[in-house]
Amino acid sequence: MFESLASLLYGFNIALQPQNLLYCFIGVTMGTLVGVLPGIGPTATIALLLPATFALNPISAIIMLSGICYGAMYGGSTTSILLNIPGEASSVVTCFDGYQMARQGRAGAALGISAFASFIAGTFSIFGLILLAPTLANFALRFGPPEYFALMVMGLTVVAYLARKLMAKALMMAVVGILLGCIGLDPITATPRFTFGMLELADGIGIAPVVMGLFGIAEVLENLGVQRKTEVFAEKIKGLFPNREDWKRSAGPMARGSLLGFSLGLLPGVGAIVPQFLSYALEKNLSRNPERFGNGAIEGVASPEACNNAAVGGTFIPLLSLGIPSTAMTAILLGALMIYGLTPGPLLIKNSPDLFWGVIASMYIGNLMLLILNLPLIPLWVRVLKIPYAYLSCFIILFCLIGAYSLNNSTTDIYVAIVFSVIGLLMKKFAFEPAPLVLAFVLGPLLETALRRSLIQSDGSLLIFLQRPISAAFIVFSIVVLIAPLFSHIRLGRGLSEED
Amino acid sequence: MKRTKTIAASAGTLFWIAVGLLASYGATRLGVGSITDPGAGFIFFWSGLILIVLSLIVFVDALRSFENTLRQLPEINWPKIALVLFALLLYAFVLEKLGFVFTTFVLMSFLLGCIQGAGWFRSFVVAGAAALTSYAMFELWLKIRLPKGILGL
Repeated sequence: MFESLASLLYGFNIALQPQNLLYCFIGVTMGTLVGVLPGIGPTATIALLLPATFALNPISAIIMLSGICYGAMYGGSTTSILLNIPGEASSVVTCFDGYQMARQGRAGAALGISAFASFIAGTFSIFGLILLAPTLANFALRFGPPEYFALMVMGLTVVAYLARKLMAKALMMAVVGILLGCIGLDPITATPRFTFGMLELADGIGIAPVVMGLFGIAEVLENLGVQRKTEVFAEKIKGLFPNREDWKRSAGPMARGSLLGFSLGLLPGVGAIVPQFLSYALEKNLSRNPERFGNGAIEGVASPEACNNAAVGGTFIPLLSLGIPSTAMTAILLGALMIYGLTPGPLLIKNSPDLFWGVIASMYIGNLMLLILNLPLIPLWVRVLKIPYAYLSCFIILFCLIGAYSLNNSTTDIYVAIVFSVIGLLMKKFAFEPAPLVLAFVLGPLLETALRRSLIQSDGSLLIFLQRPISAAFIVFSIVVLIAPLFSHIRLGRGLSEED
Repeated sequence: MKRTKTIAASAGTLFWIAVGLLASYGATRLGVGSITDPGAGFIFFWSGLILIVLSLIVFVDALRSFENTLRQLPEINWPKIALVLFALLLYAFVLEKLGFVFTTFVLMSFLLGCIQGAGWFRSFVVAGAAALTSYAMFELWLKIRLPKGILGL
């Protein structure tokens, strides 16, 4: 415990350096901006900014990219409350009561409680991260290839289970992601695989152009010709500080939302979307007046907002302690760590304590910045929302193209982004979800290496995955998740809104 | 209408079956190896087979219940999408030849003027500002090398 506190102080020493403070500020501001703007999310933004971070030192770069992750959670609620349009998928639930509060003239209180809930939950998750990540990393030192393989299988299965459509479709996308992720030189024999003689594909397809295509350009293509009405509340937003009654009503939901979000965010594949629905349902069930929910109950804003922020903190734990991303967003961060020459995994904390503790301390500073800056800046975000989508969409395309090109100074990456934009559009049309594809795309090469090493180690016996207790637990859990829908028509993901 | 949707959904899954077949076939050429000594094509072979099985499940599901198989996109505009994609491909093709600023100006003018209907004067002004600002931001500030082309800009 004391060791962790000493390490945290060391982290603050790094995070408070002027350069890191600046990049933390840029990250959280960019995150809030993309959170506010519908049509581009943090995943695509991180991919976009990745090439721009190559000139930075890895700590500053990861501080900035992490800032985008949690900054987007703050920003997403603004559009949910003022427009009834979630800026982010993880802010869908905030619409239910936040927009109703705005309609009742309490937009300020809704925005205020959302910012405070985000800050409190963010702080909670950072302390959870401090306590759990080093412990988990120490535990993960016992992991061998079978445990890693089983853990990745579990992550992909959970993502598929949480899919909003047919689970088989999500699993299909996970398999397609593995296939695409393994394109390039064989990690053991260096045989070119599915490169079609193209030298550019020898290193595999880059994660950034894939994400820009799937999440950036595809989103714009989908909305071509759609007239987005941005009817923002014209009246002046006042009363940003919640009153005593608001705090009384929100304290419990915030605490429960933080705990739930953080716990679920730890699980590979869960992310921030599902926990917020669960937290909302939990509060509604616990409430003495459940009929208030959906009609402007402040608890209906406080709980999901706390939950989604805590969940983001939770998703950093498998990333930083195991090297396993649990969402598309953290998958990009994993890609970034690899590009910077760092080896994500249990040894990251030991080998790069400056990065680990610096990033954690910066998350606390970033949350504080968001709280201080966000409330006064809400009028600015409201103005940003008035930018016509026609202009915004053209700029999203332009930045995706520049981002793709600048990765390797090659137009091949632009072609890759364009191809994946078409794939992304067709996936939307045929109700295939992109998240399992992106996650599997990043995990694919790791999964393949772990599988082949396990098989070589066991002399071809698949029983190795069941003979070792940790991997057996992961595999059994995956099987349970896979067969659960056969025995029940109720699946968590199916309850999610189409619009998220 | 229902029949068309089912056919379209089925065609979608058939595409993935074809991808699975290609992956498995390509894997055999790479060398699948054995379970004791997995080859370069091992993961592709088994992933391809799993993809085929999953696609068949989705295919059967699509035939049984077409509802929700196709998501209704709001007012999707295929001709505009085709135009934008063509413009983006052309952009990628001429970017290194004509340089970043000029190509970006033309692309943005096209996207704003033709696709989004922003009015030509406004489109040119915004496109020009976008091309120059992004050049200043990426090339001059972030030191990312953008293609110069024959115009040197």
